[in-house]
Amino acid sequence: MNEIILKAENVCKSFGITKAVCDVSMSFVKGEIHGLIGENGSGKSTFVSMLCGIHSIDSGRFVLNGEELHVRNQVQANDKGVSIIVQEMGTLSGLTVADNIFLGREDKFVRFGIKNTAAMNREAAMLLEKYGFGDINAAAMIDNYNFEDRKLIEIVKATHFGPRIVVVDETTTALSQKGREELYKHMRRIRDEGNTVIFISHNLTEIIEYTDSVSVLRDGKYIDTVKSSEVSEDELKRLMVGREIANKYYRTDYGQPVEGETVLSVRNVSVPGQITDISFELHKGEILGFGGLSECGMHEVGKAIFGASFDRAGTVALANGTKIDSIPCAIKHSIAYASKDRDNESLVLFDSIRDNIVLPSINDLAEKNILKKKKLDKFANEYAKMISVKMTGVDQFVSNLSGGNKQKVVLARWIGKNSDIIVLDSPTRGIDVKVKADIYSLMSELKEKGKSIIMISEEIQELLGMCDRIIIMKNGVISGELARDERLNEEDLIVKMV
Amino acid sequence: MNIADRINKIKNNKIFGRFYGVLLLLFIAAVVFAVFKILTPDNFGTPEKMYYYLQSSIIYSVGACGLYFIVVMGLFDFSIGANVVLSAIIAVTLSRQFGYAGLLIGALVCGTIIGFCNGFLYTKLKIPSMIVTVGLMLIFESLAYFASGGEKQSLDASLQFFGKAPGNMILAFVAFLLTFFILKYTKIGTYCYAIGSDEYVAKNMGINVTKYKIIGFVLLHFFVGIMAVLSVSFGTSVTATTGMASMSRNFTPLMGTFFGLAFKKYGTPVTAMVIGEFIISIIFNGFIALGAPTTIQNVVTGAALLIIVALTTKPAKGAVVK
Repeated sequence: MNEIILKAENVCKSFGITKAVCDVSMSFVKGEIHGLIGENGSGKSTFVSMLCGIHSIDSGRFVLNGEELHVRNQVQANDKGVSIIVQEMGTLSGLTVADNIFLGREDKFVRFGIKNTAAMNREAAMLLEKYGFGDINAAAMIDNYNFEDRKLIEIVKATHFGPRIVVVDETTTALSQKGREELYKHMRRIRDEGNTVIFISHNLTEIIEYTDSVSVLRDGKYIDTVKSSEVSEDELKRLMVGREIANKYYRTDYGQPVEGETVLSVRNVSVPGQITDISFELHKGEILGFGGLSECGMHEVGKAIFGASFDRAGTVALANGTKIDSIPCAIKHSIAYASKDRDNESLVLFDSIRDNIVLPSINDLAEKNILKKKKLDKFANEYAKMISVKMTGVDQFVSNLSGGNKQKVVLARWIGKNSDIIVLDSPTRGIDVKVKADIYSLMSELKEKGKSIIMISEEIQELLGMCDRIIIMKNGVISGELARDERLNEEDLIVKMV
Repeated sequence: MNIADRINKIKNNKIFGRFYGVLLLLFIAAVVFAVFKILTPDNFGTPEKMYYYLQSSIIYSVGACGLYFIVVMGLFDFSIGANVVLSAIIAVTLSRQFGYAGLLIGALVCGTIIGFCNGFLYTKLKIPSMIVTVGLMLIFESLAYFASGGEKQSLDASLQFFGKAPGNMILAFVAFLLTFFILKYTKIGTYCYAIGSDEYVAKNMGINVTKYKIIGFVLLHFFVGIMAVLSVSFGTSVTATTGMASMSRNFTPLMGTFFGLAFKKYGTPVTAMVIGEFIISIIFNGFIALGAPTTIQNVVTGAALLIIVALTTKPAKGAVVK
C-alpha cells in the first residue's frame, strides 16, 4: 500500500475578495511524481506557495509525515524537508554560485561569525560535479551564467539537502529541451530515492509522460486525482475546464490559399549573434508561423520586425515601401508586438488594466492633448470585455491577474489600436487550455478580418494547427518552409529544427 | 587582433583576469596623473605631493567603504557629513580627558549610535532612506552645534597620530581590511548583496531583512566614526555648521562607493573604492595645481566621475538603468 507522506487538510487562502484556494484537501504518497494541473488562476501556485512558506495559510493545515507543518519562509520549509524550484528566476544576482546554493543555510560554514568561504565553494563545487554540472564554477558570480544555467543551479539549490517533498512550479516553460531533460532526470532520481515531487505544468503531454498521478484544481477547489497511466489529455482538459473543449481548439480549415497581396516584406535582416540573412513576405489575412528550438533566433525575428532589435541590418518594409526602423515607426504603421517575456517587456505590471490597454492609443484618445478618464474607461472596457478579460474592473492592477488574463490585456491593447500586422511571440506560453482556445479563436477572427499575424512559437502542435505557412529556423537562419497541410506532422517540423 | 579582443584575452587570462579591475583602475590613475603632469610639470606630481594626495583620499575611502554596505542594498544616507562633524566634536571633547581612548571610542561609539538611530527610524517609519536621513542630518548638525557651543574644536597636538603617516595609513588600512572581511567572510556581506538583488526573495530565504538593513546603517556610521577620527586628526580641528552645510561632505565618499559598485563585477570593490578616491584626489589637486577656480574643479570632477563609471559599467544593450 502506498504510504501517504503529505496531506493538505481544508487549506484556504484569500487575497482580498478573491478566494485563491478554497477548502482544498488532498494527499501525496511517498516515492511518486505527482502532477498538479489547473487553469491559470486555479490556485496551483498559491497552494504550493503556502506549503513552502511563501504565503501564509488562512485556515486548514498541511501534515507532513504525521506532523503539522508550520513554516514562515522557504528556509524553514527546507528545514522541514520541503523545497521549491520556481517558474521564474529564483537565484540572486550579485552573489556567487555557492552563495546562492547555500543562501539562508550558511550557518554550517560559519564559526564565531566568520564564514568559511573556501569550504562553502568546495562543497558547492562538489555538488555541481555530482549533479553533472561540473562546467559551472562555484566561486564565480552567478551573473556570469545565462537563465538556463541559473535554473540548473536552482535544481542543485532546491534538492542537494535531500528534501522529502520537491515542488517544481512550471519550471519547464523556461527551459530548453536539454534543460528539461536534466530536470526530468533529477525528478526521477528524487522519486527513486523514495521522496515526492509535486510537478506543476500546463503541458499535458509532459504531465502524462512524467508523472505517476495527477491532481486537478479548478477555481481554487480540488476536483480529482487520477492515475497518469489511465488518463488521456482530453480527459485532463475536461477536468480542468469542466466541459469538453477539444472540438474547437485549432483551426479546422485546410486548402484555402492566402491572398496574394503582400503587406510586409523582410529582406536580408541580420542581428549580430542572433539571426542571419532572414528574408520572407507576409500576406494579407495570413497567419505565418515561426518555429524552432528556443535558441534558434526566431524570437529575435519578432523584435527585428517591430524595430526593437539592436544593430539590425537589412530592411523591413510595408507594401507601400515604408521602412520600419524603430518601435514608434512600427506602431505608427499599424504593427503590433506581444513579447514572449510578457511581464517584463509587454506589460506595466503595477498599473491598471485601463492604462495598459490605452497606452499605444493615447494620442488617438486625447482631445486637444487632454485625456478624459471617462473616455479611457470606455475604451479599455470595450476591448477588455471583447476578449473576456477576467477582472473586477479596468482599475484593477495587471499584477493581480493570472498569466492568461495578462496576455488578454496585451491582445486587447493591440486590437484597440486596430493594428493590421500583429506579431505574437509565444502567445500561449504558460497559459491554460481555456484561455489558449480563446486566443486561437481570436486569431482566427482577426484573420477573417484581413489582419496578418506572425506567430512565433515553441509548441509544434500550435504551429501545425493555426498557421497558413510555417518557417522553421535553426542556428539563426531559415532552415525550411512548410505550407498548411492536413498531412503535416510533428516529425516534418522537427527534422528541419535539429 | 583588435583592442576589444586583446582586452577580452586579458580578462580571460588566468593570472591577469583576477586583477583586471585593479589593473584597469591603476591604468586610469596613471593616465590622469600623466595629463596633469604634462600640463603643469612643476606644481604637480612630485612623490611627496602624491603621498599627500593619497593621505587625504584615504579619509574618504573609509567613508566610501561604510556607504557601500547600504548603497548595495539600494539605500542611501545623507547624514554622513553631519555625523563626521558630530562624532569629531564628541571625540575631541572626550580626548581632552581620556586621550587617544576618548578620541577613538568617542568617535566610534557616537558614529555607531547614530547609525543605529538612522537604521531603526528608517525601518520603523517605513519611508525612503533619503528622506529619513535628510531629517536626521538637520538634527545631527544642530546637536553638533550645541555640543561645541558654536566654537571651533581643536585637537591637541599630542593626539594627532592619526593625522599623518603612518598613523592614518594604519587606521585606514584596518578599516579597508575590515570591510573586505565583512563582505567576503561574514553572512552580513552575502545578505547585503542578496537584499540588494531581490528583497522579496531574500525574505523568502529566511533572511531578516529589517535586521540586516539596521546592521548596514550601523556599519556605515561605524566607518563614518573612523572617518571622523582621520578627518579631525588630518585637519586638526572641527567646526559645527548648520543649514545643511554638512551635505557637501557626503559626496566625495559617495563617488568612491560608485567606483566600488562599478568594479564589483571584477571582485574588487574595496580596492576600487581606495584607488577610485585616489583618482578623484589626483584630479582635485591637479586642478589646484593648474590654478583653476573651485567651480571648474567641481565641474570637471563630476564629469570625470560620470565618464569613468559609464565606461566601466557598460550595461547590456536594452538593459533598463534607473
